[in-house]
Amino acid sequence: MARQSKKQGKSITWGKYGTWEGTESFLGKEICYSVGADVVEKGTIRRWLEPKEFDCPLHYNDEVAKRAGYKGIVAPCGMVMTYGVEPYWKPGDPHAKLGDLPKQIPLPVLDIVPAPCTLSFASDIEIEFFEPVYTGDQVTCTSKLVAVTKKELKIGKGAFLKQESIYMNQKGEVIAIMHIAIFRFVQPNGKVD
Amino acid sequence: MVEWEKQLYFDEVKVGDEIPPISLPLTLQRMIMEAGANRDFSSIHHDTKAARATGAPDVYMSSFFIVGMFERLLREWIGLKGKIKKIGPFRMRIFNCVGDLVTFKGKVKQVQNEKGEIVLDIWSETRRGQTTTGEATVMLPKRG
Repeated sequence: MARQSKKQGKSITWGKYGTWEGTESFLGKEICYSVGADVVEKGTIRRWLEPKEFDCPLHYNDEVAKRAGYKGIVAPCGMVMTYGVEPYWKPGDPHAKLGDLPKQIPLPVLDIVPAPCTLSFASDIEIEFFEPVYTGDQVTCTSKLVAVTKKELKIGKGAFLKQESIYMNQKGEVIAIMHIAIFRFVQPNGKVD
Repeated sequence: MVEWEKQLYFDEVKVGDEIPPISLPLTLQRMIMEAGANRDFSSIHHDTKAARATGAPDVYMSSFFIVGMFERLLREWIGLKGKIKKIGPFRMRIFNCVGDLVTFKGKVKQVQNEKGEIVLDIWSETRRGQTTTGEATVMLPKRG
């Protein structure tokens, strides 16, 4: 699942370029703190359920959720990742210009951590859930680089960078912890384009 | 349709049980609805040209989308009083692309009485074979 693309002569970059020393300087450190764009509410939950054809009343019926032991409507567990994403544009940001490249989802191990690589793909993911997410909650996310494992695969030479993201609510409770591994690499012949 | 009034209990589960699979046809419209809903607007998940430029056959499912479908698979089996403890680790092996019918499946791997937890193998399949493989951990209510 390699990610690299060109559009109108400009490259969509799939990772900040740099040295392995630069990569390792981030190891074990907090690399990003983000505040989710939207507070948890019924409309965003409904829109998340819709394309999955996911009909579970815990996520839209207050009475059913209470009978199941919750305080009220709960967001689906996996939505914590969505509620941790920052806005793509917010008041005060500059306006887009014709020809600007589309913004990609912010991923700290790609956007902040440098590596001598131009291609990347997400290989593994794991998310553990601790607390329910209720309407009205505000999700924040703190990410850390927890491992760098150099590896040569058929598709190229590089390293797996593992990111740990801790999601919290406004009360400081840990809602979920996610680990995602991204393989950042260059093609075997060293060709980067 | 899921019968939500029925509840599965811990003592009803044994190793090797297969859970009811779910399938979803991937259309470009669904991918765009999903990107808008999960907020992963990376071009590879809704723009065919961008996806093909990265070596993918077409627009493909994001990890957010895959996690969401595994959640639906598990929730429909564990019922309203079950808890999803963990989804993963799972590996994304092959693209789930526009035009594919993706089927999500699961099978009970361990029943941990002390913890009250159940570990399942979970995976997704398309005409190209298994596209993601991994595991999940859930909890079910005990009777009495």
